[in-house]
Amino acid sequence: MFWGIAPSVKARLNTAIVLEIGLPVLADNKKNDNQEPMNIFLLALAMILVGGALPLLTYRWFMLTKCLSVGVTTIGCITGFYSIFSANADPASLAWSWPWLHVFTLAFTFDSLSFFFLLPIFLICPLAAIYSCFYFERAENSLRTAISYFFTNILIVSMALVTAAANMPTFALVWEIMSISSYFLVMYDYEKTTTRAAGYLYFLFAQAGALLIFASFGVIFSHSGSFDFAQAATIPESVKLMVFLLAFLGFGSKAGIFPLHIWLPHAHPAAPSHISAIMSGVMIKMGIYGILRFYFVLGATDIRLGQTVLVFGIISGLLGVLYALGKHNIKRLLAYHSVENIGIILMGAGLGMIGVAQGDAVMAGFGFAGCLLHVLNHSIFKSLLFLGAGAVIRRTGTSHVDQLGGLMKRMPVTGKTFLVGSVSISGLPPFNGFVSEFLVYFAAFQGLQYSQSTLLLTMIAIISLAVIGGLASFCFTKVVGIVFLGEPRTENARRATEGGWAMTVPMVLLAGACLVIGIFPASFIKLAFAGLADITLLGQVNTVLVATIGAHLALGSRLFLAIIFFVVLCRKLLYRGKEITEGPTWGCGFTRPTARIQYTGTSYARSVVDFFRPFVLIRETEVRLQKIFPKRTAYTSRVDDIAEAAMIYGVAFPLLAVLRKLRWIQHGNVQLYIGYIIVAILVLLLVLFI
Amino acid sequence: MKNINDMIMVVILLSVLLSLASSRLITLIKIMAVQGFLVSLLPLLLEHHSSMGSGGLIFFQVMILTKGILIPVLLYVALKRIAIQREIEPIIGYHASLFAGLIIILLSVFITDRLHLAVPSGQELILTTAITTMSAGFFLMMGRKKAITQVIGYLMLENGIFLIGTALIKHFHTVYMVEFGLLLDLLVGVMVMGIILHNINHAFDDIDTDLLNRLKD
Repeated sequence: MFWGIAPSVKARLNTAIVLEIGLPVLADNKKNDNQEPMNIFLLALAMILVGGALPLLTYRWFMLTKCLSVGVTTIGCITGFYSIFSANADPASLAWSWPWLHVFTLAFTFDSLSFFFLLPIFLICPLAAIYSCFYFERAENSLRTAISYFFTNILIVSMALVTAAANMPTFALVWEIMSISSYFLVMYDYEKTTTRAAGYLYFLFAQAGALLIFASFGVIFSHSGSFDFAQAATIPESVKLMVFLLAFLGFGSKAGIFPLHIWLPHAHPAAPSHISAIMSGVMIKMGIYGILRFYFVLGATDIRLGQTVLVFGIISGLLGVLYALGKHNIKRLLAYHSVENIGIILMGAGLGMIGVAQGDAVMAGFGFAGCLLHVLNHSIFKSLLFLGAGAVIRRTGTSHVDQLGGLMKRMPVTGKTFLVGSVSISGLPPFNGFVSEFLVYFAAFQGLQYSQSTLLLTMIAIISLAVIGGLASFCFTKVVGIVFLGEPRTENARRATEGGWAMTVPMVLLAGACLVIGIFPASFIKLAFAGLADITLLGQVNTVLVATIGAHLALGSRLFLAIIFFVVLCRKLLYRGKEITEGPTWGCGFTRPTARIQYTGTSYARSVVDFFRPFVLIRETEVRLQKIFPKRTAYTSRVDDIAEAAMIYGVAFPLLAVLRKLRWIQHGNVQLYIGYIIVAILVLLLVLFI
Repeated sequence: MKNINDMIMVVILLSVLLSLASSRLITLIKIMAVQGFLVSLLPLLLEHHSSMGSGGLIFFQVMILTKGILIPVLLYVALKRIAIQREIEPIIGYHASLFAGLIIILLSVFITDRLHLAVPSGQELILTTAITTMSAGFFLMMGRKKAITQVIGYLMLENGIFLIGTALIKHFHTVYMVEFGLLLDLLVGVMVMGIILHNINHAFDDIDTDLLNRLKD
């Protein structure tokens, strides 16, 4: 009976819905016959939205909520993946637009660049969602968990739409939805003062950045008279520089470019770990997407753009990794590594832009390809590291590296996958970080054939890439050494155990992805170049060269892997039959060793941090041994961010001092407030009439 | 017809003056009921509104019900609930207020002259009345201390805005968007003030808005 009626009802419902919201219109009518990819893509987004909205209804049943939301979201993301690949041959077929409020058109179009940025979204987000099953374990926070799921999925959808927005109002709308939904995600533990402060800081930076982006929109509109991105290339060359710089700073505050990165090290420790993974792995890449999109849309070939981006990239990369060395909170440290990697990504983009300005197709192609591939790689290994850090924090209850230790034996899967992530992020073979950084290196070496400023900048870029790589490996030897090796420093660390499959499976998958990209780099390099296929600004890069480099990288990585296996094998063989005794780590023959004789994170990193003293503010308080019967000694040190210090003492405090003098305006007298309104009206009337 | 309009406007002006001069809250509420009733009655009697459809008629009936009965009743209930015994302690005295009201009328005539708005013929006086009502509402809000008087001032201000809308509209229209928005605004305003009244009363045992000073940072 029911099934008999259903189709007609469904048909009527469909027409009703179509009448209500208006059928999405294909941007290009000629391609009307090929609506399928678009429908599948919209279906994927709808599923993700449903996956977010369902928990709000079912939050009373905690397990059901989690399974339902995660399941639907994962299927939605897989559908999204499918739609990308089914439309891959013809990205333009995946376009639609809605007239909105009779004033704007909400238009979405895709090209190869959007597709490339959709990859990390649909790859990382479902894994983070699965991981959240482990992370949200308290049933009494059920409603809050449901709300978190809701905003997570809104964030996913809005990020997917950011990559597709075809005009300024659309972009502004989805960009704001993205910023605001992520703000709510950061505020998960809103009872804590630090979380609220972090959320506020993030909100401030997100909105200030959005303001700059909108300002650049305004400048474009005032010259081109059109909201369409496609018309932006028609504005005068002299304006393009300003537009790009405005947009660069705006997107930079989202991406976490030094010195606009201040919110990152605060927001990430405050947010739940899988949210950090999404935000650091995927969301800040939307800032990079914006920068690239703006650059390509403007079609500006001024070399100063590339130089600016490259210099910001170098500074972000170097200082990011430096501050990471000085930090003891594991998530804050990872946040600084995001700044570092954004720096590397920007260096790739900057080199690409310089290549475009010089008319060098190889340099441009490899620069941008390195940038794109590092976006993908960073999203993989950074979310892996954040998930690992989250597991450690959840299981031990602390995020301070100096209170951990010996976790490799207690949480083997987390430890090993974290190690994989660490090697990847340090840019070492045979993992994926090496591949993308190599592409950036390759682009930089192309720049050496030019003279003057380009030569100088590319040389600095090469040196800083090397320094960044070295410091990153140093930093991760610190993290892995202190957190996972050695002996547990506290009772909590001693009692830590591995989480369930919901925690380990995403991490293992991500670690596997790191290795696959590292061992089979050729196809992924090709993928990165495919991401640039629709960009008309770039010349064609010799495919043979790309294939050769891919093959050589593959050979190198595999050789490296083979050597590792060989060494392990040799060790096994040589030690066979010998008696192996195991003592405590760092035992060193002491009769009563204690966990406190181990290196701490501070002491390990100190020598390097000291070297860069002008750029890092080290504050120490120390009580030394004095007299014959000394008091209890103590030592604390902290490393401060110069950008943060400058922002606090240079901007915030003077501003507060000025604003404090205006406090008398708020006197609390309602009658006088009404007086203010009247005065305002009178002034406006006077201005209008005189 | 025109005479009735003029009479209504005169009564509205008188009600404004009376509200400025009255010290008892209960009287104020009564005045507001009369004023609200007259203000929503006025558009029905205008000549060019004679072709109004049934939707418009219903709308203005709702308007009369809300402004003339619902809101005054709400205010009355609030007054009874908080049981204030004392009369208003004005910031500006009653005689001064009355005098200010007269000056406001003169000023609004002057402003109406200067504005040169394209008002349909026979409706120039509405604009004067409207500006007077608005300004008097503002004056009431500034010159009195009790929260309930603030609400009444706010109501008067909205009445004035409504009148301006009536005066400027040349032709009959089917969508009473602006008017309806105003009505909603008013209701919400009264509700919010009711809650605030209740809370101030609860917290301080009085409804002087001066006590709100303590709430600032």
